[in-house]
Amino acid sequence: MTEQPALPETSAEPRRGHRRRVRLTNLLALVVMLLGAGLMAYPYVYAVGGSFKTRAEFADDKQSLIPPRYSPQALASAVGGQADADLRRSWREWPPLRNYADAVTYGKIDRFLGNSFIYALLVTIVSLFFNTLAAYAFARMEFPLRDLLFGLLLSTMMIPAAVLLVPRFLVIQHLGLVDTVAGVLLPGFAGAFGIFLLRQFFLNIPADLEHAAAIDGCTRWTTLWRVILPLSKPILITLALFTFMGGGNSFEWPLVVLSNEDFYPLTVGLALFRDQNGQDWPRVLAASVMGSAPLIVLFYAAQRHLVGSITLSGMKA
Amino acid sequence: MAATKSSAPLSRARVNWSAYLYIAPAFGLAILFSFFSMGVSFWASLHEWDPFVGPGRFVGLENYARNLTGSDSVFWIALRNTTAYVGMALAGMLATSLPLALLCRKARCFQGLFRTVYFLPSITPGVVVALIFYQIFGVWGHLLDRSATALPAIALMGVWSGAGYNMIIFLAVLNEIPQDFYDAARIDGANPLQEFWRITLPLLRNTLTFVTVMTIIGAYQVFTSVYIMTQGGPERSTEVLAFNIFINAFSVAGQMGYASAAAWLLFAVIAVFVVIQMRIFQSRRIYD
Repeated sequence: MTEQPALPETSAEPRRGHRRRVRLTNLLALVVMLLGAGLMAYPYVYAVGGSFKTRAEFADDKQSLIPPRYSPQALASAVGGQADADLRRSWREWPPLRNYADAVTYGKIDRFLGNSFIYALLVTIVSLFFNTLAAYAFARMEFPLRDLLFGLLLSTMMIPAAVLLVPRFLVIQHLGLVDTVAGVLLPGFAGAFGIFLLRQFFLNIPADLEHAAAIDGCTRWTTLWRVILPLSKPILITLALFTFMGGGNSFEWPLVVLSNEDFYPLTVGLALFRDQNGQDWPRVLAASVMGSAPLIVLFYAAQRHLVGSITLSGMKA
Repeated sequence: MAATKSSAPLSRARVNWSAYLYIAPAFGLAILFSFFSMGVSFWASLHEWDPFVGPGRFVGLENYARNLTGSDSVFWIALRNTTAYVGMALAGMLATSLPLALLCRKARCFQGLFRTVYFLPSITPGVVVALIFYQIFGVWGHLLDRSATALPAIALMGVWSGAGYNMIIFLAVLNEIPQDFYDAARIDGANPLQEFWRITLPLLRNTLTFVTVMTIIGAYQVFTSVYIMTQGGPERSTEVLAFNIFINAFSVAGQMGYASAAAWLLFAVIAVFVVIQMRIFQSRRIYD
């Protein structure tokens, strides 16, 4: 938002009562927002707390956010060396990270996480490459049927994923790619939305730059790589983040395509892990925490690029 | 919108034939996984189809008829449940995301913190969210075990997951409304309520439409939370269309054609909203 010029004194200076009212509404807004933030954070705190409980603790008490063994009193007594024998034995039998270790040992959560990471990375890289090529052609090249083809491509965004689930499976099946990584990834290797966003961005880059590059002897191809892409870093980063997160989140498609557990991404792996450990929720919660933490860390690292550009996903270009 | 300016006939010299190579990968995938797939879906919907046997007997529109009128059909139950879910999710979404955006602007401190915390669910995999809420709803009085409360609980989770995302969209638009508008209104003696109804809301109209339509389209396809938390139960109270399609296609032998017909019926239900969505896309008038 741009800096606003000050209004003339007479109208800009609010009356004292008005100002107090403004301050009160600000305070109220702050309180409501803090309460809301608490509601937002509650499930995360619940999951982390639950993931540190022993199975017996969780069976007795599903509500508390802090496991009894980690209550301030228990911790103080442990630090002071005065913990009673029961508590000390419980620490020995159930070390803090035991549920996490179990999730890796019995649930292969580390493997699923690795799979998810590789899938998301591959989809991001390949789709960014294919989408860039197509977007550049649609933005800068002249060829017969260009607008018609672009319109057709855009229209694919109208088709709901729920409708495509079955036929895409049949296509993958026909290609012999059921239960393969290629079958999971192939449909995501290009997307109309990404092409649309990139084209919009490319259109706003001055054509003069390309003329200059052409005079310097650049071909179309080198112009794209040396001139256009360096200028498009912001949109590429944003799109990469969205694609990566979408890849890490996808569930229904890999669930349908894969049956070999070794290929499962985290989402499908977690669902399986829950089925196998129905009674052992602390373990499932530990797996959930482990599974979601990397994306959340990535988000924090890249927040600057993400939050500011959700507007972009809201289709501002 | 940056309109394509090439209505003039192309001269041969300027035609860039290599462009087809540039668009080939993306377009090939679109043909295979969108256009051709739609054709396959329609073709399958006209047949008895088993995923591991392939196309069976041609049955014409029988799969559609069975969905709509069959005595064993849960299509109408699923449609009613899904629509109820959409209604609750939409109401909850509108009741939270815009007010939150307005409050976030009013709150003078911690705005960065709020954005981060409210956005967290958007970057948490849906499976994880569903697993955690499965426990939380249990603690809150076994909401998922009763047919009266299961669907509202799932909708509540949907709102929790999506409110922050939409709040940030609203915030972005609110930040673009020039302060002058409000200053002028204040000089004219408008109170905050009038400012909201006369300035903010009209300027947010297109964004509201956008958020509404996207919420409706997304909610009609709800799947992950149902799959993880209830599998359609109890007593079919959370049987939704996408879940129904999934089960028929992949867990029941020989029902892929039937599931494809249900998918087309789902498409027909949300087609209106999809058209509005495309309008918005093409006009790009979301922020005025």
